[in-house]
Amino acid sequence: MQRPSSCRPVGLLALCSGLVLGSVSCVTVTPAQRKELSQPEMTPAADAEEEVWHTHVEAAREAGFGGHGAAGGGCGCG
Amino acid sequence: MARLCWLAMALLWLVPLPSSGADRVIVRGNYYREASTRVLQPTVDVEVDVPDERLTLGTTYVLDAISSASIASGAAQVTGGDAVFTEIRHEVTGRASSRLGNWATGGFFRYSTETDYISRSIGAFGARDLLQRSLTLSLSYAYNFDRVYRIQNNTGVRAPWCGGAVDIARCQSTGTGIGSNLRQVHYVSAGYTHAWLKTLLGLASVELTRATGPLDNPYRGAQIPTSNVEIHPLARTSVALMGAARWILPKARVVLEPRYRFTTDSWLIHTHAIDPRVHLRVLDHLRLRARYRYYRQSASFICNESPQDDLDSGGQFFCTTAAGDFATADPKMGAFHSHTPGVQLVYELDGLSRVRGLGWLEGGWIEATYNHVFQSNRYGNARLGALAFSLAF
Repeated sequence: MQRPSSCRPVGLLALCSGLVLGSVSCVTVTPAQRKELSQPEMTPAADAEEEVWHTHVEAAREAGFGGHGAAGGGCGCG
Repeated sequence: MARLCWLAMALLWLVPLPSSGADRVIVRGNYYREASTRVLQPTVDVEVDVPDERLTLGTTYVLDAISSASIASGAAQVTGGDAVFTEIRHEVTGRASSRLGNWATGGFFRYSTETDYISRSIGAFGARDLLQRSLTLSLSYAYNFDRVYRIQNNTGVRAPWCGGAVDIARCQSTGTGIGSNLRQVHYVSAGYTHAWLKTLLGLASVELTRATGPLDNPYRGAQIPTSNVEIHPLARTSVALMGAARWILPKARVVLEPRYRFTTDSWLIHTHAIDPRVHLRVLDHLRLRARYRYYRQSASFICNESPQDDLDSGGQFFCTTAAGDFATADPKMGAFHSHTPGVQLVYELDGLSRVRGLGWLEGGWIEATYNHVFQSNRYGNARLGALAFSLAF
């Protein structure tokens, strides 16, 4: 029986994500090395208000949802 | 425009924000324009530490002023004419969060009201920093409980709406289940942010929603000749996967930010959004960001059996299932795609704060954003603009 084609993007994405996350899962960048990561343009949380507005518009015009947020960190990198 | 939009906004507030180390106010004015709708949305957000990051309190007020040419959305039938009308929505959010060592927790409550829709939302999140705070994992949950109404026949009388499949005479504004106008949404999100290198940040999230209750539009049925009412299923489950990265090139003063999002749901809609961005520090205190977003989605199961729905051409839109048990006039139930280029300028006020008497501008910024949406379906193209400024105090 042929698998539904709709499953392929999900499986491919999960596989790629697993490979990437697996290869970097234990990387530690020490506080002394985070100068560049603390720049405003490297801070996802700095875009939070704008992302709320984009979410608002996209929810009205598109059937997809989410994807505008990610966890903030204590590392000075949002 | 005002129907379900606020809901997605509510969910975003569950994302834990880092402590800024300063109390802050942000004033923002958003503008949206498409062929038949214009939205003006001023917002004010205030956040204070009391006395430090162990307890942070915040509140947000949002005003939505939505002007619409009503005939296009079928509202002329119930308002009695095709005059442009303006709908006002008020939204207030209160939130509290706490950071204790490597843990962050928080919660919020939101209330939103407009003529024919009342929404309440409550949520909580927890986050844990690991690997010397190189890695943050977060988990959040929100519950929405809304009441949906329909304005009747130009009289201003508000009647509960329980979905197109429910006889309006049997619809109640109390209780739960079929025959009630209660719309409920459960939302769960897991987030991942990791400094992979000293110049590279990786982000990912998984989001799950389960919505039950009336999920169709009370007014759009006028565009469906076969049923005169929009009938969507009374439940919908959706999943969203997002991956992104930010890579800074210090010498070039450039940040590259690729983003991708995939969603799928129980109505068989699959969406893809590719949204790369480039941040450029033009001057010491001036940043420029350019973006391009490509979005594509498949048709819902309601439209899969309607031959005219493959890439909605911009004309009158409606489709039904072969059995006739579901019908929709919602353009986002069909297949379409869009392109969105955009630009943003941010001026950091730290430079001005060195001028005598302007020290209070330290940590402040001014932001101007413009995006233009080129969309292939009946919604057509749209313009999004925003002006914002922020002060730390």
